[in-house]
Amino acid sequence: MEKLLFKVALAAYFFSAVGYITSILVKRVFIAKTSTWVLLTAFAIHSLSIIVRWVGTGYSPVTNIFESLSFIAWAISGSYVAFQLKTKTRVLGAFVSPLAFLLMMVASVKLVDNVSMPAILQGYWVPFHIILSLVGEALFALACLAGVMYLIQDNLIKKKKSYRFTRLLPPLRDLDKINHVSLLWGFPLMTLGVIAGSIWARTVWGSHWQWDPKQIWTMISWFLYAFLLHQRLAIGWKGRKAAVFSILAFSILLFTVIGVNIFFLSVHNFM
Amino acid sequence: MGIIVIGMNHKTAPLHIRERLSLSCDDNSRMLDEVKDISQVREVMYLATCNRVEVVANIEDSVSGVERLKFFIFSHGNLSHDEMKECLYIYRDHEAVRHLFRVASSLDSMVMGEPQILGQVKDAYRHCVEHKASGIILNKLLHHAFRVAKRVRTETGIANNAVSVSFAAVELAKKIFGYLSGKTVLIIGAGEMSELAAKHLMNNGVSKIVFANRTYENAVRLANDFHGIPIGFNLLEEKLKEVDIVISSTGAPGYIITERMIVEALRRRKNRLIFLIDIAVPRDVDPAVEDIDNVFLYNIDNLQEIVDENVKNRMREADKAEAIIADEVTNFSNWLNTLEVVPAIVSLRNKADSIIDNELEKSLSWMKDMKEDEKEKIKILASSVINKLLHDPITRLKEESQNGGADSYVAAIMRLFKLETDD
Repeated sequence: MEKLLFKVALAAYFFSAVGYITSILVKRVFIAKTSTWVLLTAFAIHSLSIIVRWVGTGYSPVTNIFESLSFIAWAISGSYVAFQLKTKTRVLGAFVSPLAFLLMMVASVKLVDNVSMPAILQGYWVPFHIILSLVGEALFALACLAGVMYLIQDNLIKKKKSYRFTRLLPPLRDLDKINHVSLLWGFPLMTLGVIAGSIWARTVWGSHWQWDPKQIWTMISWFLYAFLLHQRLAIGWKGRKAAVFSILAFSILLFTVIGVNIFFLSVHNFM
Repeated sequence: MGIIVIGMNHKTAPLHIRERLSLSCDDNSRMLDEVKDISQVREVMYLATCNRVEVVANIEDSVSGVERLKFFIFSHGNLSHDEMKECLYIYRDHEAVRHLFRVASSLDSMVMGEPQILGQVKDAYRHCVEHKASGIILNKLLHHAFRVAKRVRTETGIANNAVSVSFAAVELAKKIFGYLSGKTVLIIGAGEMSELAAKHLMNNGVSKIVFANRTYENAVRLANDFHGIPIGFNLLEEKLKEVDIVISSTGAPGYIITERMIVEALRRRKNRLIFLIDIAVPRDVDPAVEDIDNVFLYNIDNLQEIVDENVKNRMREADKAEAIIADEVTNFSNWLNTLEVVPAIVSLRNKADSIIDNELEKSLSWMKDMKEDEKEKIKILASSVINKLLHDPITRLKEESQNGGADSYVAAIMRLFKLETDD
C-alpha cells in the first residue's frame, strides 16, 4: 500500500516537473498552474505514504538515508507550495519539482518493506532530532535555490541582455524574500534539531558533545547560518550578497549531511 | 446592400488633414444624423481617434451611395480633390470587414497592439446605437469585431511587452520590485519623458513621487500636477536613502548622481535595491554605479534596445493575428451570404402559410361535423406536407448562399413561386 502510494507520488512529481519545464518553454501560465496542482497532489500522496509507513512500522519515517531523501523531497515540495500560494512565483517550481523527483528516484532504490531499527535509533528524541533537522535542511535547500535564481536574474538585469529570459524569472524582490523567510524558519528548526540530537546523544553516548566529525561540521554550518541570519537582520544584507552566502552555507551543509559520512569515520554513521 | 469603410489613418494622411476632418465632425451626433439622411445609407458608424477618421456604413446601391458618402466627407473635411485622392481609402465588402477587424484588433494602429483602440471602437458603436444608426448588419459586424479583437489579444502575443521606453522602464521596475505599490519614485529634472514615466508608474501603483529640480519652482509645479513632493537639489542626497526608483533627465553637463552618493545611500538604506533610470544626454548618473551590488542602472539606449526587441516580437505575433482575422472574415461573410437568401425564404414560408390558411377556411363547410381533434389532425397533415415539400429547396438555398452563388437561385424561386419581398 505504502509502496504504491510512494510510486504514485513519484510519478506525480515527474509530471509536475515536466509540466513546469514545458510551461517555461512554451510560455503558457495555464500549464504552470496545472503543474502546481499536480505538485500539490504529489505532496498530498507523498504525505499519505509517509504516514502509512510511520503507522505501519511504528518507527519514525526517517531511519535511513533513502527514507531521509524522500523526507527531504517531501519537506522541500511542502515549503515550496506554501511559498507559492503566498508569492505567486511559479517559476521556482521548475527547479523544485525536478529536485523533488530526483530525490525520490534515489530514495526509491531501497524501498524496503520493513526495516530493522538499530537499538541506538529507538530513543524518544530520535524522531524529533531527525524531522526537525531535515525540515530545516529542506528550507535551507529552498533558500539556496532562490539564491541561485536570484543570481541568475540579477545577472540578466545587470547585463541588460536577453530580456526574454528576465521576463521568465520571478522578480528579484520575491526571490530575496523566499531566501529570507526560508532562513528565518530554517534556522530555529535546525537549532532545535541539533538540541534534540545532543539530548539523545547524552542518553546513548554519555555526553552531549563527542568531537565527532559530524558534530563539528554541523557546528560549522550552524555558525555559517547564524552569521548569515545576523548579517541579514542586523547589518541589512540583502539581495546578491545574501544569495551568494546562502549558496555557500548550503554547500557546507550538504557536505555535512552527505560528505562527512564518506570522508570521515563518524559515530553518526547511519546518516 | 454592402458594407463600406471610407476613411483616413496615420499612414495615409498627415496630421493636419486628419485634424481638419476630425474637427469638422467634432459634433458626433450631428455628423451621424447627416450621414443617415443620405438616402442610400441604411446604417452608419463614425469612428474618430487621434490616428484615424473613418465612416463604416451599410449602403444600398454601391456606386451612387459611395459617391455621395465620399462627397459628404470631402465637403465636411474641406479637402481638396488631390488631398482626398491621396488620403482617403475605401474598402468594400470583405475588405471592409477585414479592415474593421484589423482596426479593432489594433493591427492597424500606429503602435501595434495598443489597447485603447478597442475601447474607442466600442464607444463609437455605442454612440451609433444611441442614435439608432445601427441595424442588423452593423450590430452583427461590430459584435463580431469585438470578439475577433478578444481572440487576437488572448491567442497571440501582439499586446505583450512594452513598446515604449517609459513602459519598458515600468516593466523592468516590476522585475526588480515585484509590484510597485508602496514604492517611492524620485524624478530629477523635468521633461516629457520623465513626466510620462511618472504617469505610468502612478498607474501601476506607485504612491509617492518626489520631484527634484535645480529651480525649486519647477519642482513645485510638477509636484502639483502629480500630487508629489517638491525638493531642491540640496536635499537630493538625503532622498536617495529612501526612494526605490530614480528617473533622471536634467540638462546638466556633469554627473548629478555620483558613485560616492550611491555607496553612501546604500549603506544608509541597508542595501535595499535601487533602480536608476538615466534618460538624460549627457548622462546624469555615473556609469560606475552599475557595478555596485543591489543597484540597477539603465540608460536611454538600454531601454530602447528592450523596446526594439519587443517591437520585433510583436511583428512576429502579427502574422498569427492576420491568420485569425482571415478566418473570421470568412465566418462573417458566410453569415452575410445567408442574409441574402433570408428574405426569399421568409416570403416562401409566408406564402405557404397563407395557402394553408386559405384552403382550411374553404374546407370549413364540409368539416363542420367533424370532431375538434380530427380537424386538428387535418391541419397538421396539411402543414407537414408543405414543410416536407419546402425543406429541400430551403436547405439547398442556404447551402448555395455559403458558396456565394445564390443570386440566380433566389431569382428563380421568386419567379417560380411568384414571390415578393419587402426588399
